[in-house]
Amino acid sequence: MVKVYSIHQCPWCTKAKKYLESKGVAYEEHNIEENEADRIACEKLSGDTMVPVITVNDKDFVLGFDKEKIDALIA
Amino acid sequence: MAKERMKKDIIIIGAGMAGLTAALYAGRMNLSVLVLENGLVGGQIANATGIENYPGLARVAGGDLIATVQQQAESFGAVVDEFDEIERVDLTQSPKIVETGEHIYETDVVIIATGMQRRKLPLPEAAKYENRGVHYCELCDGHSYDGKIIAVMGGGNAAVDAANFLTKYAKKLYLIHRSELRADVVSQKKLYANPKVKVLLETEVKALAGDGRIESVHLLDKSSGKEYDLAVDGIFVNIGVVPNTKLFAGQVNMNEAGRIIAGEDCRTNVPGVFAAGDVRTKEIRQLTTAAADGTTAALLAEKYINLLREQ
Repeated sequence: MVKVYSIHQCPWCTKAKKYLESKGVAYEEHNIEENEADRIACEKLSGDTMVPVITVNDKDFVLGFDKEKIDALIA
Repeated sequence: MAKERMKKDIIIIGAGMAGLTAALYAGRMNLSVLVLENGLVGGQIANATGIENYPGLARVAGGDLIATVQQQAESFGAVVDEFDEIERVDLTQSPKIVETGEHIYETDVVIIATGMQRRKLPLPEAAKYENRGVHYCELCDGHSYDGKIIAVMGGGNAAVDAANFLTKYAKKLYLIHRSELRADVVSQKKLYANPKVKVLLETEVKALAGDGRIESVHLLDKSSGKEYDLAVDGIFVNIGVVPNTKLFAGQVNMNEAGRIIAGEDCRTNVPGVFAAGDVRTKEIRQLTTAAADGTTAALLAEKYINLLREQ
């Protein structure tokens, strides 16, 4: 399952989610402003609380919107 | 895989207020319209936390406003593609060519509405701290500084609005600017009224320091000549904007600042190429004037297409 760590009103998070949708990729959204456990998980994964963070297995991840890296991640 | 060739009446490059307004008008004239955006739909407005000077809307988030305009444009047939990135344009031939990662488009009209992007902090060490304390998006990254010390650089409306927004996270916020504030009085009053805020005018950021992340900034107080270090956890940079016009270099006339030379009719020196919004040479750059440019460009583009087809 693809996870997207995001926050409210984050334009790059919105773009990342729209990109996954355009590719037909289902994802779970985890809002790190709303959920402390998600915030901790995001920081543990990427070493920071910058968003968006996209992960497929809670190990490999892409920080920010980078189309080529996202394509490689979801391939 | 060969790229698909497609024909459009109008291609609009840039999906900010100018580009999407042009798309709305062109769509309503039953023209085939494609809007291409390499960055964020909305452009600079996507990061605006609260717009209070757009007539008819008392206060609206930039993202919400632009989403509405996009929906309006799409409801009249315009297509917005923010994922198929533009690789090159050829404005010199007819039809004009816009090549993306997946398509080669032929079009009678190109409306350039690529807007501006924030100027990067002109310090050699700034790049290594980007997203490690140096930031260019308050909405995206501000939440990471909850309970921390934030600095905002700049003195215009964007900087003061950013500072006002970030006070919801900061335990202390410094607004640092090299001269006097230029932001509107309403925003300045709000800033000065916040007890978390300290405004440092006539002050320049000379250097950044920190082990991996920013821990302090080195400042020069120009009025006293005193230099000192200020502990901060992050700095948000709002020191002006630069036009997004590299894609068109050598193909359309620009001024020394890189803005596309066009008058109130949005016509450039190349027939069938219009420039709309912040990217063109003009004195006032506001959301309202961007919408006006989009309107003008689309209506005159239709006239151009009609003349072209009568020939």
